[in-house]
This record gives sequence, C-alpha cells and structure tokens, in this order.
Amino acid sequence: MASREQELSALPQTSDPPRGRLSVLLGRLIHPYLHGEQRGPVPELMGRLIYPFLRGEAPKPQQATGFYTDTTVCIGCKACEVACKQWNQLPSDGFNWSGNSYDNTNELSATTWRHVKFIEQFSHESSSTPASPDMVSDESPLNRWLMMSDHCKHCVAAPCHQACPTGAIIQNEFENIYIQADICNGCSCCIAACPFGVITRSEMGGHSHKCTLCYDRQRDGLEPACAKACPTQSIHFGPVDELREQARRRVEQLHERGVPQAYLYGDVPSETYSEMHSFYLLVDRPSVYGRPDAPFNPWLHMMGDYVRSVAGGLAAIAALLVVVFLLRP
Amino acid sequence: MHASSRPQHAFTEPPLPEQGGQSGYENGPVTKVPGWHGIIAWDALLNGMAMGLFLAAAVSELAAPSVFIRVAKVAYPVALVLLLVDLGLLVLDLGDPLRFHHMLRVFKPSSPMSLGTWCLTIFSLPLTAAAALSLLAELGWDFEWARLLAVVVGLLPGFGSAAYKGVLLSTNAQPGWKDARWLGGYLTNSALLMGCAELLVLSALMGQTQATAILRTAFIVLLVLNVIPLVLLFANLQPTHARLYTREQQWRVGVLIAAGTLISLGLMLLNDGLLFILVALIVLLSQSWLIRSVYVKIPHTSPLEVRSGE
Repeated sequence: MASREQELSALPQTSDPPRGRLSVLLGRLIHPYLHGEQRGPVPELMGRLIYPFLRGEAPKPQQATGFYTDTTVCIGCKACEVACKQWNQLPSDGFNWSGNSYDNTNELSATTWRHVKFIEQFSHESSSTPASPDMVSDESPLNRWLMMSDHCKHCVAAPCHQACPTGAIIQNEFENIYIQADICNGCSCCIAACPFGVITRSEMGGHSHKCTLCYDRQRDGLEPACAKACPTQSIHFGPVDELREQARRRVEQLHERGVPQAYLYGDVPSETYSEMHSFYLLVDRPSVYGRPDAPFNPWLHMMGDYVRSVAGGLAAIAALLVVVFLLRP
Repeated sequence: MHASSRPQHAFTEPPLPEQGGQSGYENGPVTKVPGWHGIIAWDALLNGMAMGLFLAAAVSELAAPSVFIRVAKVAYPVALVLLLVDLGLLVLDLGDPLRFHHMLRVFKPSSPMSLGTWCLTIFSLPLTAAAALSLLAELGWDFEWARLLAVVVGLLPGFGSAAYKGVLLSTNAQPGWKDARWLGGYLTNSALLMGCAELLVLSALMGQTQATAILRTAFIVLLVLNVIPLVLLFANLQPTHARLYTREQQWRVGVLIAAGTLISLGLMLLNDGLLFILVALIVLLSQSWLIRSVYVKIPHTSPLEVRSGE
C-alpha cells in the first residue's frame, strides 16, 4: 500500500485550473459571490446566475485509474463503507434491520457510495439460487457466502454522463465519472439512465451524488479511502491497464486452484456496453450479485427513437396539410 | 453536507425468518427510479398541447392564410400560456429549481433533456413574438410580415420541443421505459392531434365555419392515424404491463383508452356543433393524460409477484 501511494504521488499534480479571458471577466463581476464576501441580494443573484457559466481550462489527462474488486477475498467487514463515509463526510443512513443476511445498508444512494453485499448460498436453499451449469461445476457445493463491495462502475461510455444536460457529470482527467455538486440541478436524468442503480438524489440539496473515486485524494496522489482501508486487498486501485492484467492473472490462478467459475465482469466491452473502469471478479452469475447479466447502454436506441419521434410528427403534419389543401376554398 | 432519506438511528426490530425478509439480490430491482411522478405526466400533456397547438395553427395558417389567420392569431397566445405553465412544471420538478438555468451552460446533443431545453428556450422567443404581434394586431398595430416571420422561425424549434419528450422518456435504463421504442412516435403524433383539436375548438368558439369544417375533417383523420403509434407503443409495453398488472387491470385501461378514441371519433362523425367538439376535446385530453400517467407510473410499480407476496 505504501509503495502504491508513493507511486501515485509521483503523478503530476493538478491544481485549480486557470480561467479563460471571458471567465476572468465574469469572475470579476461576481467577485463577492465567489469569495464569500458580505453580499446583498443583487450580488447574490448575479453570482447565482453567472457562476455556472464560468469556464476553466481542463486539467491535463492522466493515466486512467480505476478499481478491480476481487470478490473472492472479501470478508464483508464493511471497512470500505466506513472509510468512504468518513472521508467523504457522508451521514449515517440510520440503523435498520433489513432481514437480508448481514446487509443492513441495503443499497447505494446519495449518502452511501460503497455498499457491501452479502449472498448466502447454502445447500438447503440452493434451489432458490441456482447457479448456471457453465459457471459452477457439478462438484461445487453451494455452501458458501458471496460478498461484494459495490460502488459506481465508472463506465467508459457512461449513460449518466451522456444523459446529464447541465454538464455536471464529467469524465475527469483520470477518466473517472465525476459529478460536480455545484453544477448539478437535480434533474434526475442520470438516475434514470444508470443501468446499475448507482445514483440517487439527496433529499437535502436535491442534487445527485455517487462515488467520486476519491477524486480529491487522487489529485493529492493518494489512493481512494476504501482501497486504503480494505484489509484483504479485495479492492485494488491503480492504473486500469495494470489492474486488468492483475485481474486476469488472478482468474487464471483461481481456475488452476479449482474455481473454474471465476470470471471478470466489466473489464472488456460487450456488444451492448462499454468496459468499466471499475470491474469485478465474480464466481456466480451477475444477477446473483444484483447486477444486469447483460448491461445495455440505452443510447444505442436513441437515434432510432428520434427517427420514430420525428416520423410520428411529420406524418401528422402531412395528413393535416393534405386535408387543408383538399378542403380549402 | 448530504441528507439521508432515512431516519437517523431509528432502531427497528429485526424481521423473523418466517416473516421472509428479502434474501439475496437476484430478484430485486437493479435500477433506481427517478423522482418523476404525476408532474411529468402533466408536463408531457401540456408540452403536447402547447407545441401541437402552435404547429397546427402555423401549418394551417401558412397553407391557407385566408381561412386560418383569425383563429391562428388567437392560438399563438393560448400556446404561449400553455408553454409557460409547462415550463413552470419542468422547473418545479428539479431537485434544485433555483439552478434551472444550469441547463443552458452546455449544449449536449447526446442528452435529450439538453436538446429539449434548448429547443424550448429558442422556441419560446418566436412564440412570444408571434403571440405578442397577434395581440398587437388586434389592437390595431399590425406587423404582419414580422408575425409571419416569427411563426416560420418557430416551426423547427417547436417541432423539436414536441419530438424530444418521448426520446427523453425512452432513452434510459428503467424497466418498461427502455423498451418503449414508439413512445416518441406516439407523443409527437399525439401533440399534433391535440393541437388540431384545440384549434378546432377555438375556431368553433370564434364562429369560423370554414376553418371549423376543415379542422373537423383533419381531426377525424388524425384520430385514426394516431391509433397506429398508440398500438405500436402498447405492443412495446405489453411484456412490462403483463409483469405489473393483472389481465383484468390491463383490459380495464385498454378499454378506457380505446373508448377515448372511439367516443371522440363518434362525436365528430355525429355532429359539428360546439358542444360536441368541446366534449370530444375533453375526452381526447383525458385519454392522453391517462396514457401518459400509465406510462410514467411504470417504474414506480412493483411487479405482480412482489405485490402478491406482501
């Protein structure tokens, strides 16, 4: 871990980007608002109106980073959940019994960016959680716990990113999907678009939140809090290319050791979905872990939907015109 | 910094095994439902009514000015009022309504919401001009060329404002919505149908007999034409509806929707009196609202098997 942090510290650091000429001008106009100085209703209004239109230069692209989560070594300690809550100052979700194994967190939300899932697979209830024959060998006894630390997948072609109309959701210099909380206006398009159910809207501010992949820590050369806290190295953080190599070696190792059902989820693109910068090593079907077996990017349908939408309108206009031309005096 | 949707430190009793708490994740919902409720059904209706009225009035006026000019001059201000109410609903539906202008900080064609917002913003300018110049013409200040220019300029963004809505509600990962390939086709077609019906009511109210006669025929044709995208849409949604509703519930809604079309059609074929036209419009709008409501409710509705287990 220490060496990884040193390695990351060697990455070029980014600071607040310089602003363009127009942004400097606009910034001067709303100086009191930007610097929290005493302000009246007019500077406040000006600030609120102009602030979202300020532009800075984009930071220089860095090596793409991500997570590789090896679910076979997760022990369900929830240290990652706690570390995430602590570092990001997220409030408690209350203390509720879900009745679903040891999972009382239930789901990812605007206040829970990490969620450890518990799946009990024991022979007396194996009929309710059948495993696919091609993934689980016949000898494999289903007396086991599956645990998985879930979070945002940081998809390369992320539907939430494509859906966001304000530009609040960006792909940052580490190629992670990041929500700019000061820009989001809570339109919910990202919530509707995410096929993994990662994003929700906070009830207090009305804005969407999710895992930032500890963007602030990465900019300071630190690894994300969850990866730092993980005691079994189930959560690996680093450059995505290296993680993929590492994960493939681990799959081979597991196959050799008699776990033929081990495979990677999200490391490569499928016909209907891009690769993810946060991918997983799983040993059962994806749906057992509560994720789509074949994720689908809704944007694959968008052009066709536009064509049908325009056609529906044009057909009506054509019909109206025909009637008007035929019946006009 | 962030709010929690659950009560803090609310201790509850653990469910006993025989009470059957959720086990595993396999049959649970994967996606999260956006907070789009009834307000969006009303938004979709008002969007169609506003854009449809403008488009129907503009197309009719440009095709036969002598017949439609008077009713069109009334239609544009009415369309503007409908648009303003619709925009109000859109702003209210945001998590942070005071940040509504953030929608205009980027133009992203990949986002139907972005495209729609820009279309609505651009469209509001010529529509306001057309409405204002129409009212000024009534007061004696006639700038006919400018009014016509505003109408022509408004055609494309007006059409875009009608066309984006269905794509927005079908380009996502929500169960049911993601399969609604014909939602956009239906909504845009329905907008023109509603617009034609509204224009018909206005012309009947104003005693424009020639315009009323033409629009009555157009309304009948559009009613029949609208059945095509409507059937295609419900064919898209059938597997989802079968999962969410009993056969009886599906039939009940299906009969209500079919009745909306048939009653409107019957009234128009029977008589061209103002009362018949007015009732036909009300029936059509009710049916249109029902279809939009049923659609918006889909991701909020639990599957039958979950409801029966409760």
